[in-house]
Amino acid sequence: MRNSEKIEVTMFKMLKKIIKYPRLTQDYPNKPLKSGMFIGKPEIDQTKCTLCEECISRCPSEAIIMDSSDHTIDINYGSCIFCTLCEEVCPEGAIAMTDKIELAEKEIRSSDQSNELIESQLQAKIKKVLGRSLAIREVDSGSCNGCDYEINALNNSINDIERLGIHFVASPRHADMLLVTGCAVRNMESALIKTYEAVPDPKLVVAVGACACSGGIFKDSYATSNGIGTVIPVDVCIPGCPPQPQAILYGILKAIDRIR
Amino acid sequence: MSLRDLNAKIEAGFLKFIKNSKILNGNELYIEINQDNIPELGVYLNIDLGCSLVSLFATDEREFNHYRLYYSFAERQSGSLIILTSVVDQNSSTFMSISTTVHAAARYEQEIHDLFGLIPIGHPNLKRLVLHGNWPEDNFPLRKDFPLSHKPQTVDCISEFTKIKGEGVFEIPVGPVHAGIIEPGHFRFSVAGEPIFNLEAQLYFVHKGIEKLCEGNNPEKCYYISERISGDETIANSLAYCQAIEKIAGINIPEKAEYIRVLFAELERMTSHFGDLAGICIDVAYGFAGSQFNMLRAWSYGMATQLCGMRFLRSVNRLGGVRKDFISGKEKSLLEQLNKIQKELEDTVDIIINSSMFNDRIENTGILDTKIAFDLNAVGPAARASGIANDMRKQFPYAAYPKLKFKVPVYTDGDVNSRMKVKIKEVFESINLMRQVIENMPAGKDFERLGPLHPHKEAFGITESPRGENVHWVMTDNNGNIFRYKIRTPSFCNWPALCYAVAGNIVPDFPLINKSFNLSYAGNDL
Repeated sequence: MRNSEKIEVTMFKMLKKIIKYPRLTQDYPNKPLKSGMFIGKPEIDQTKCTLCEECISRCPSEAIIMDSSDHTIDINYGSCIFCTLCEEVCPEGAIAMTDKIELAEKEIRSSDQSNELIESQLQAKIKKVLGRSLAIREVDSGSCNGCDYEINALNNSINDIERLGIHFVASPRHADMLLVTGCAVRNMESALIKTYEAVPDPKLVVAVGACACSGGIFKDSYATSNGIGTVIPVDVCIPGCPPQPQAILYGILKAIDRIR
Repeated sequence: MSLRDLNAKIEAGFLKFIKNSKILNGNELYIEINQDNIPELGVYLNIDLGCSLVSLFATDEREFNHYRLYYSFAERQSGSLIILTSVVDQNSSTFMSISTTVHAAARYEQEIHDLFGLIPIGHPNLKRLVLHGNWPEDNFPLRKDFPLSHKPQTVDCISEFTKIKGEGVFEIPVGPVHAGIIEPGHFRFSVAGEPIFNLEAQLYFVHKGIEKLCEGNNPEKCYYISERISGDETIANSLAYCQAIEKIAGINIPEKAEYIRVLFAELERMTSHFGDLAGICIDVAYGFAGSQFNMLRAWSYGMATQLCGMRFLRSVNRLGGVRKDFISGKEKSLLEQLNKIQKELEDTVDIIINSSMFNDRIENTGILDTKIAFDLNAVGPAARASGIANDMRKQFPYAAYPKLKFKVPVYTDGDVNSRMKVKIKEVFESINLMRQVIENMPAGKDFERLGPLHPHKEAFGITESPRGENVHWVMTDNNGNIFRYKIRTPSFCNWPALCYAVAGNIVPDFPLINKSFNLSYAGNDL
């Protein structure tokens, strides 16, 4: 076959594929996820719980805590690594994994009244400035790379985050939001602070994954911190280990108040 | 040659050196010798017998007034490990460097120097590796008297890089925060115009102290840490850890669990390779092929989600087997999906190998020389693309691999093209393996329960991760908890190989070469 013919045949095969797969993108969040797809947060049935504390002693990331004020056992989702061990070891069957993955929560930074007012004014200003388009800079501050792969997946044809006016940028100077993974390890601390400072005001910080929210399973080592909140101010925390791409998208949209 | 023959051969030549030797776990020969004799016997094993150095680590045994070093060499024909051990005096804290002759030892010795404060005499480059300039001197985190959560005061010290001098030579610093969504690392290129003279990679930006975190913890918690050593190698790392613990506990896992482990390990390999292939295509702006491979990767994730609800295959393994029967009832749908993936991959490969523009970019780019690959003990697809047919699934068979049929693809050019072809062929082999697992799934239990572990036992766990050989070593303490957990992932071996492969290429080809190796920063930095 001559070279030009070869190119023609290849082009034809490519076109065939493009016609075969015209659109793979899922319309999340407009269409909700199929139920039962993912393993999401564990929940405790307080009526069955006998406070035997088996789950507390076994939890590898110390996410399950005894609330001494009302004598109940609670799960700190920011620390939880969704490992399913608590469901497995509970002798009463009081803990069950659910399929809920939309777990992002806004951080409450201060209880002071006057600060709250400034906060809400600032939030309103941020929304006004950022509008419906958002530029994100991602920083890995010491993750296992699971969260980073999931953030990457937001750009693939299944999630295609740009359809929502959100895009990732190469420089923090072009960004409105920092998406931070990892537990702000010692060797990344100054790079994380410099990146934060390079983002122009007003800016948002979203912590992705258990490590960024709380240090996750790596907390309390000589090289890690207990979450990026110990280094820079955080607006939204997305639990998960790693959170699914849709869970990250949910958190980003929540940070800019496009989801309530 | 069997392990006993090997032992006899070593004894014949070096009997006067040997203080003590024992065979553990079937294929681990531990030989205790004096520190002074290490260079001679190390060179004999590495150069005369061709055994590669697969791990080198220290333990703090100062309750017995010494540190101990373990030099692990792999005898790949018989699938056995020869481990030279020697004590290091706690007062002098020095040992003989072997890195000028056994080149693969260089980075291990640097690591021991940083984390234990032991000084390798005669090491050519004792630059700090794990701990950066912010770490004060005389603080050694893996010593037992260093508390886990102690955070020493930050000091200021700027890292020095190799200087290349000459007219028109300048440096390009890149990172640690990169333009793309990748892990952090700092690259210092010395270039004249476009061609790269030298690349020095400063890593360990994501050093979390994983080995220290495991010490003193119970084996169950450490299992969950091992899953999170490197995000996309969950099965490979957790499996290596499980194997080590299962050997220490002296149990055999059920046959069914062995098959399920293979299925997930191959699914992980397929998913990872699709990501690499997509990356290679995207880095040469071949958008169509990149989208195809990304679609295939998404389908692989779909299979993972259907099987266990976790895209990164977390909580699939457990000590003693697998958590539950993930396959039963899904066989038909899995086989259909595998057929669909295979067909689409065949079509895509047929298109890309006929694209001359694409081939121009990947052929002869980033060549890793076979000799360098051997000297540095380069592993995985990178080594197999440079003519080194090493695969731990064949050489140190584990799980159900000895019962299954598969080929190990090898190419000899050592360029991006060869690495890409190795990965494509490996995906076909993975699909084939998964089919065999589904069709031959035995009945039985999912896992065997483990009792408390015996104190003072040690064992290796070895797997072939998508990136290459993965060597873990575990030793238990007085209470049956973890005394020392040494993790050596394939990325640790391949980072120096990447720096060699980049030299002589142009700067715009660096991302492409980097992607063809696809190394994990987290797996290297721990």
